Amino acid sequence: MGASVELTQVINGCKSGDAECFAQVVDLYGGRCYGYFYRLTGDRDLSDELLSELFMKLVEKIGSYKGGSFESWLFRIALNIFHDHLRSRKRQKKLVEGRRADVERRPTETAQSDLTGDKLDRLQMQLNRLDADTRDLIVLRYYSEMSFKEIAEIRSEPIGTALSKLHRGLGKLRELMEG
Amino acid sequence: MENNPSHDELRELLERFFGPSQADSAEQDIRDGDRLFDGSPSPPVAAELLTEIKQRIAVRLSVPHKPAHLLYRYGGAAAAVIVVALIGFFGRPAQEPSDIRYASLIPAAIWDSDDIISDDMKLAYFRSELRRVEAQMLAIDADDGEVATGALDEVEMELIRIERQFWKE
Repeated sequence: MGASVELTQVINGCKSGDAECFAQVVDLYGGRCYGYFYRLTGDRDLSDELLSELFMKLVEKIGSYKGGSFESWLFRIALNIFHDHLRSRKRQKKLVEGRRADVERRPTETAQSDLTGDKLDRLQMQLNRLDADTRDLIVLRYYSEMSFKEIAEIRSEPIGTALSKLHRGLGKLRELMEG
Repeated sequence: MENNPSHDELRELLERFFGPSQADSAEQDIRDGDRLFDGSPSPPVAAELLTEIKQRIAVRLSVPHKPAHLLYRYGGAAAAVIVVALIGFFGRPAQEPSDIRYASLIPAAIWDSDDIISDDMKLAYFRSELRRVEAQMLAIDADDGEVATGALDEVEMELIRIERQFWKE
């Protein structure tokens, strides 16, 4: 049985509310989606939260999946969850603007430190030095394994633009890693 | 992730957007980037977390809930009815209706009749009470000596009682 046929059956099971099929999806994509969130945030606890949110959202939205690339569909949700998280953090930051000292203790960018106390690996540190948009693109491409067409579609930009940004971003990342 | 299926289309895309000369270096950068990620894997997801997520999903699926699309459908229908009702209520042209009917607190039986008192039992009762008091007053006036000294007080009290009863009604 082909992998895509098997995946289709699993997804059909999810649509009919089969918890076992959802468990299979969690096993299939949990690692990659976790890596995606971790590389975006550099924070294990936060990545745990976002991953949980992703799969609970999947349960809610599975009925709206109408075929096509499941990975593309899943990572689109993941991307939205991450952006929602950024927006809510911005709101939170505004709320505590008056308490500057407190705010300064919080991680201000998407990933400044791993709150679990683990040392960030070298790649994570250099990823954090890239601008957010470039980091999003590089991480999305690597973990989602989507085609450039799908990536460009999700990001609402032309393929050529996505390719150029990726090319420049990876060049910059290589420089940082070598430096 | 070296076997990334998107690599199949990569070369073709790069040549289309960068031209054959730049496509080589662009492809090299992208493949180097992939190797970088391959060589620095992110921390693995905790098995406990995956188990917890599966449990949460199982619990979620076991709890019956109204499908969201039904809520949207019926919620939308209810909203539409309310909007139409509001438009009907507030959206009428501000012109004087041709046939105005005024409501009254007085029962129709009274203001339709020539004799108001005969149409209302309470007014009829008060009229009889007043007539009784009037008769007592006449009796007191006619019989100076025989009427007890407290008779006037009694009549007065009676009038007060009637007055109170009247305003209660």
